[in-house]
Amino acid sequence: MIQLAALGAAVLGVGAARAQTGERVPVLVTPGAERAYRIAVQRFFDAVAPDDPSIASFRVAILEALEYSSAFSRIEEDAYLEDSLTSPPFEESDTIVCSNWGQIGTDVLLQGEIVRDAAQIGVAFRVWDITRCRDLLRRRYTQSSDVKPIEVARRIADDVVEAFLGVRGVSSTEIAFVSDRSGSKEIFVMDADGSRQRAATANRSINAFPDWSPAGDAILYTSYRYENRPYLFLSSRGQIEPGRLLPQLGDDRSQLRGVFDPAGERIALVMSEPGGASDIYTVLRNGHRLRRLTNSSAIEVSPTWSPDGERLAFVSDRSGTPQIFLADADGGNPSRLTFTGDYNTHPVWSPDGMWIAYETRVDGQFDIWLIDPDGNVNVPLVTHPRSDEAPSWAPNSRKLVFSSTRRGNADIYVVDRDGSNLRRLTQGSGNNTSPAWGPLPR
Amino acid sequence: MTSGFAAEQGGDRRREFRRMLIASGIGHGVLLMGLLVSVPGSRSFVSPSVIHVDLIAPPAASRAARPAAVAKPAPKPVQKQVVLPEKPSLPKPKPAAAKREEVVIEPKVAEDKSLDDLLAEFRAEQGEPAPSEKVAAQPPVTVPGGAGIPVSAEVLAWIHRVKLRVTGAWIVPAGFRRQSLRTEVVVSIDASGIVRGAPRIVRRSGNPWYDEGVVRGIEKASPLPAPPEPGEWTFIFASDESY
Repeated sequence: MIQLAALGAAVLGVGAARAQTGERVPVLVTPGAERAYRIAVQRFFDAVAPDDPSIASFRVAILEALEYSSAFSRIEEDAYLEDSLTSPPFEESDTIVCSNWGQIGTDVLLQGEIVRDAAQIGVAFRVWDITRCRDLLRRRYTQSSDVKPIEVARRIADDVVEAFLGVRGVSSTEIAFVSDRSGSKEIFVMDADGSRQRAATANRSINAFPDWSPAGDAILYTSYRYENRPYLFLSSRGQIEPGRLLPQLGDDRSQLRGVFDPAGERIALVMSEPGGASDIYTVLRNGHRLRRLTNSSAIEVSPTWSPDGERLAFVSDRSGTPQIFLADADGGNPSRLTFTGDYNTHPVWSPDGMWIAYETRVDGQFDIWLIDPDGNVNVPLVTHPRSDEAPSWAPNSRKLVFSSTRRGNADIYVVDRDGSNLRRLTQGSGNNTSPAWGPLPR
Repeated sequence: MTSGFAAEQGGDRRREFRRMLIASGIGHGVLLMGLLVSVPGSRSFVSPSVIHVDLIAPPAASRAARPAAVAKPAPKPVQKQVVLPEKPSLPKPKPAAAKREEVVIEPKVAEDKSLDDLLAEFRAEQGEPAPSEKVAAQPPVTVPGGAGIPVSAEVLAWIHRVKLRVTGAWIVPAGFRRQSLRTEVVVSIDASGIVRGAPRIVRRSGNPWYDEGVVRGIEKASPLPAPPEPGEWTFIFASDESY
């Protein structure tokens, strides 16, 4: 037996194995190719109209909104081992057969019920984490019956995104942009997926640089509609009065562009004296407390606020070429941010504060890059032989919208923050430029 | 003259060579006859293995009772992908003749147990759990993220396979990439690779949804490849390659 023990020790190298049993090496895992949760959505149960075709289209609307987030991919109904319709009574049922969903690769299950009466529609839904076989989210909405079903579907989808990513989905948001499809440059608005494109201005002048109020109730833009010179105007819905915004500042100086601060109280303003170069100012929304932030012979344009409203990024050619600069909101502590490239412009600060997207000129065309506010990381986001311009962040900082001439005419595209999931939102005649992503609905 | 003398000497040598050739032919003939006569008796020594394997092999029930992975003589394909420094590997199962020799030394043991059984017994005596699979005996090495802790080839092979499994189950949406997020979890894994209980987060990333995704990924990946040793293993989930 001793001989066998000696044989075993020699063969197995037990001594070496023993030496390491006291401390185990950790297993390091980095992301693979899996980027989207596979979701199954059962048709919602509707006791009043169980066979209404709108039930199926409501399900499709939820799926499309989920897929727009890039975080979910659908499992088709044909693959379900369970019923494709939510089983009543929905509210009382606390169990599902997770193995039947897991077998078809489901990570997430969404099921729900619609309850109608004369004046209102109630929608209750539940989200199941199939991996752990437990419900992750339960919610019920009650609203007037004139609300469009697609709005409810998108709100549910954005809820699901929030449950898994911690940030709301943006399928319920809107994007403003400039289009010359009608023969003049007008402001248009569309849903985040490119649907429902409609005009916000129709003054047959030149309208440019739309920017949303943080509440989403107004769009600030530059228009040449008054004396054929640039001034700031407001297009609004609800209680906000539309029209010229800062008449108190007079007509002598050109108001080239305005950007709301994150609180919606101040405006960063690009303004120029007659015959002079443009400078950056801040002013209250009512036209009071005008403050000049830059004062040089250089051209200073394109201000963007940090999410806390304490700092601004802007473009200046004070160093000889257009570059991105940072400064405090009162103009103090200016510092240069970009040092590579000889033409960097149009900075936009992400709502989460992590990145500043900007345009950089390469071989006469523009690409979009991301730089962190400390200037330590500077990476390309979208590059193409044709120009990609005017980036704007989604309110959850997970996507950007921009315009590109990659198909000839300028069109609006969205892309994920890591450069994936490029998607075109506009098509047809005319040029579509200067997109501005609106806030999350309140 | 020189050539005639040479021819004379050559004639004597040819005669002597003929005599030797005849004697050699007779000798070979005798040997051939002897071989032909002895063939039936000698066949049992030419291929004894089949008979002896049958004699010392354990009964079918006993074989099934052994850990299947231990009994496998050949490494799995995944192990072949692991690049290992050149070192002598575990011996393959010895031929039946060698086993027969052991039967002679320990006839009682050899009636029921193979070498694999004996090695498994030895492991048990030493307090060593049975390995899930055989791997080549290697000097310890270190792995990325392993804090310099030496790793045996057996552990290295398991880490390689478990990473493949977990990476395939861990969903990382675009929003979590390009961020320096890192979560450390301790996972209790039984001998068959099943994750027991909820993974315990010992270091959070700062983003609870990322942490939740990590736990979800581990649970989805269960059962993992059977570990070299059951118990608690630490996993580090880094959202980018910069870790």
